[in-house]
Amino acid sequence: MSTNTARSLRKVSHGDLLSPPLYSTAWRDPLSACGLVGQFCRAKPVHFWQAAKTTIKMLLGMTHPTAGTGTVLGRSITDSAENREMRRHVAYVGEDKQLYAYMTVEQLVRFTMSFYPDWQSDVAQRLLKQYQLPQNRKVRALSKGMRTKLALLLALARRPALLILDEPTEGLDPVSIEELLHALVAAAGEGTTVFFSSHQISDVERIADRVCIIDHGRLVADLSLDQMRQDYRRITLGFATQPPTNEFKIHGVHQVKIVGRQVTVLARENSDVIVECARSLGAVSVDVDPSGLREVFLETVKEEA
Amino acid sequence: MLCYKAWRESQTRFVLSAFTIAGLCALFVLFQGDARAGFDSEPLTYTGYIWRIIYKGYLRELYVFLVLLLGVGGLLRERDYGTVGFTLALPVSRWRLVSVRALIGLSEVAILAILPALVIPVLSPFVHESYPRTQAIQFSLLWTVGGTLVFAMAFLASVVFRGEYSAPVVALVVLLAYSAIADLPALDRFDVHDIMSGAATSDFRLDTSLITGPLPWMAIAVILLVSCCMVVLAGRITQTQDL
Repeated sequence: MSTNTARSLRKVSHGDLLSPPLYSTAWRDPLSACGLVGQFCRAKPVHFWQAAKTTIKMLLGMTHPTAGTGTVLGRSITDSAENREMRRHVAYVGEDKQLYAYMTVEQLVRFTMSFYPDWQSDVAQRLLKQYQLPQNRKVRALSKGMRTKLALLLALARRPALLILDEPTEGLDPVSIEELLHALVAAAGEGTTVFFSSHQISDVERIADRVCIIDHGRLVADLSLDQMRQDYRRITLGFATQPPTNEFKIHGVHQVKIVGRQVTVLARENSDVIVECARSLGAVSVDVDPSGLREVFLETVKEEA
Repeated sequence: MLCYKAWRESQTRFVLSAFTIAGLCALFVLFQGDARAGFDSEPLTYTGYIWRIIYKGYLRELYVFLVLLLGVGGLLRERDYGTVGFTLALPVSRWRLVSVRALIGLSEVAILAILPALVIPVLSPFVHESYPRTQAIQFSLLWTVGGTLVFAMAFLASVVFRGEYSAPVVALVVLLAYSAIADLPALDRFDVHDIMSGAATSDFRLDTSLITGPLPWMAIAVILLVSCCMVVLAGRITQTQDL
């Protein structure tokens, strides 16, 4: 079991904060999938995609942090020798999935396998067949969906300890997205930790078991999805008269919204106590529903704003 | 396999350059009669003609330009193409990426320089002429030295300047500035154009256009050292770059 950490890691370039300070974020292997979600184009000058991309690049040693430190698989990201050793066990799939256009699929597979002594040829062959990748076709002639599959094949055939993806579903058609998500779930099932950034909350919710939310360039939440599903509740209360406005300041209440005679409470915990309180205040209808990541995300970033 | 990658990236440029140089050498040799008659000055000897048109003239200038194009590329260019993430995720150091690209590029520079030495002595008998092989090899060595400097300039420029045309344009401007500065009396022994054409050798005979004395080893050593420093500097810069 090895640790991945990011301590006050941030990047400033030409006066612009390119990446959020990630304070004491740590996750441990084995972990199946961790998603990084955030707001898109809201917090100028830090856009979520830029913050996530820069963070991923810092973790992989492609960009040097302005401040802070981090470790991936227990190896320092700022020490070039340790970072190189770490990259033997980490696979990366970038947002645009660009690969060497001048090589054929077969040449690129052979090129990549030469760097990894533990390359699994049987896995590569199986994925070549499964993804129906034409071995003699040049990479430049592949669609983005096919390029994504090839990038995944090159990543998964190494059985990496950690797979990092930047906006993996970006620009893909629904069928390709479905296949990609299946592949990621399968990889996680086989013991690979999957760390990815996305602004598609539905994708994150489907495959991640832990979620970090970035807002205005800052890490504002770090949740276990199972824990979230178990604890977070949306409680909808109906009142016969105008509902009380200040009676729901109870431990565990994340957000209260009052529209007419209806009160919607997003609870992080203590939903039983909140329901009891609502009944004592004269609520005529009480509905308790599990809360989705989209709702938690929206309420979290609203709260931060 | 990094060699394979570096080779594939420069393959088209190198093959086109090789065909151009070899083809023009063959044309200049096979049609030497008409070409020699085209010169306004006094009748040229065959060796003088080869020197004027190939080793000092158009082909040398073309070689410099082609070498300059071979020098561009690298991780900044890959960033523009979007493949830099894939390359940097490989478990190899940036220094190794840079050094392998430099090694392959310099090998190509040397091969391009050798081509006239292969073509001219072989084709000359077909036009009832001969060209000394040792002369051709000496000129190839001098071209390799000059080409190494030009390559290193373009190599360094492509590490510093982003953009498809920025690096070759900057390298060309630097080369022109260097040529102007090297014309100064104190520095003329380091003029890369004179070194490549053999004019910088102590016993270069203008009547036969043949090198009869030793090569300018001091100037060659200085140029190779400067080129080496530029490649090392390119590696140092690459190591600290955010890509």
